[in-house]
Amino acid sequence: MPGIDESLLEAMRLPGARGASVVDWISGLALGAVGDAPGGDVEATAAETAELARLATESGALAAVGGDPGGSSGKEPPVQDLIVTNTDSYHLLRFVSTTFDSTVFVHLWLDRAEGNLALARIRLAEMADRLVLG
Amino acid sequence: MITSALTPRTDEPASSLLGTLAAEGASGALSTESGIVYLAAGHVVHVESALTPDLGDLLTHSGALAPDGWWQAIDQAGRGCRVGRQLVDGGHLAAGALELCHLGALFDAAYFVFAHDGPALRFRPGVAHWLGAVRPVPVDTVLRESRRRRELLHRIWPDPAVDLAPLARVRTDTVDLPARRSRTLAQVDGVRTAAQIATALACRTFHTLVELRRLAAAGLVVPVVPTATPAPAHAPASAAPGPAPRPATPDEPDTALLRRLLHALEAL
Repeated sequence: MPGIDESLLEAMRLPGARGASVVDWISGLALGAVGDAPGGDVEATAAETAELARLATESGALAAVGGDPGGSSGKEPPVQDLIVTNTDSYHLLRFVSTTFDSTVFVHLWLDRAEGNLALARIRLAEMADRLVLG
Repeated sequence: MITSALTPRTDEPASSLLGTLAAEGASGALSTESGIVYLAAGHVVHVESALTPDLGDLLTHSGALAPDGWWQAIDQAGRGCRVGRQLVDGGHLAAGALELCHLGALFDAAYFVFAHDGPALRFRPGVAHWLGAVRPVPVDTVLRESRRRRELLHRIWPDPAVDLAPLARVRTDTVDLPARRSRTLAQVDGVRTAAQIATALACRTFHTLVELRRLAAAGLVVPVVPTATPAPAHAPASAAPGPAPRPATPDEPDTALLRRLLHALEAL
């Protein structure tokens, strides 16, 4: 059963992975981080990506769900992931869905030349599920 | 070794004593007026506050863990201070889920312990929490994060009264809000405090405060200020949503504290 660190190390095995972290999008706190962060600043990166994640989850347009507000429990954000494409890298934010109150996402920073975005997106989703379901 | 820390040092803020204890690599429980910080080898392993739901509340009230599973783990591993490990080994909870929920509860309680950094009451060396070490956090990280959270709330809406006072709705018509904020607003009834609302929602209190301060900033929620009216106390009108300030001591956190005491005693 993987914990936070094991899960992040697993994400770092993806080709082109530069850094990975688990971030609380309401407080902006990084609960765990491995590898590099842009500018070498894990905390600033966590706070800024958290703000982006929060805006997405609170957006009436982006987080809209048809007829079934919030899915089964009304707790998980209907937004599943966010992708920001840079000139030289990707930022992939995958929301982690938990029954208990957690408000976290996994952030993977991926080199654009070496990384495979489609593969990373699938693997990160599986990793986020295993993190909380075992 | 750390005998000096045994005596009450009422002049020293808890945060500075905690820094000293961390530098010494101390293990034990540091009590303040607002909570207890548990250290192991100079790292924070757990924090409890009467104003925040504990790990058991967050897990069982949300349905993530059946209460039976929680009590079973306490029965089996409380004495050995390995309840966290038992929850995972017993198949009740994934390791990642335990870490996420535990860190959520730890930083939540730490915010309230250090929000108004009062004096440390006493340090009991060697005292361990029955949960055991799930994911130890450096003392610096805990103190820095508590400070950052205070600033974050201040930037949203600089009125600390929202944090402790009973809260009332300003308007009763429906407003279009994000799901979390809407759920929080639905709990505002003129009587409950942020901590009681958090308990009702099985949410961390700081995260509830963020929503409540945003609601206050939007002019939807106001703290109920106890008015010292010269008129004799009006009859207890339960239906009136107006200013009906309750005693400063909320019921729910007391219940939570008693329940925690019960857990601790049973784990001995």
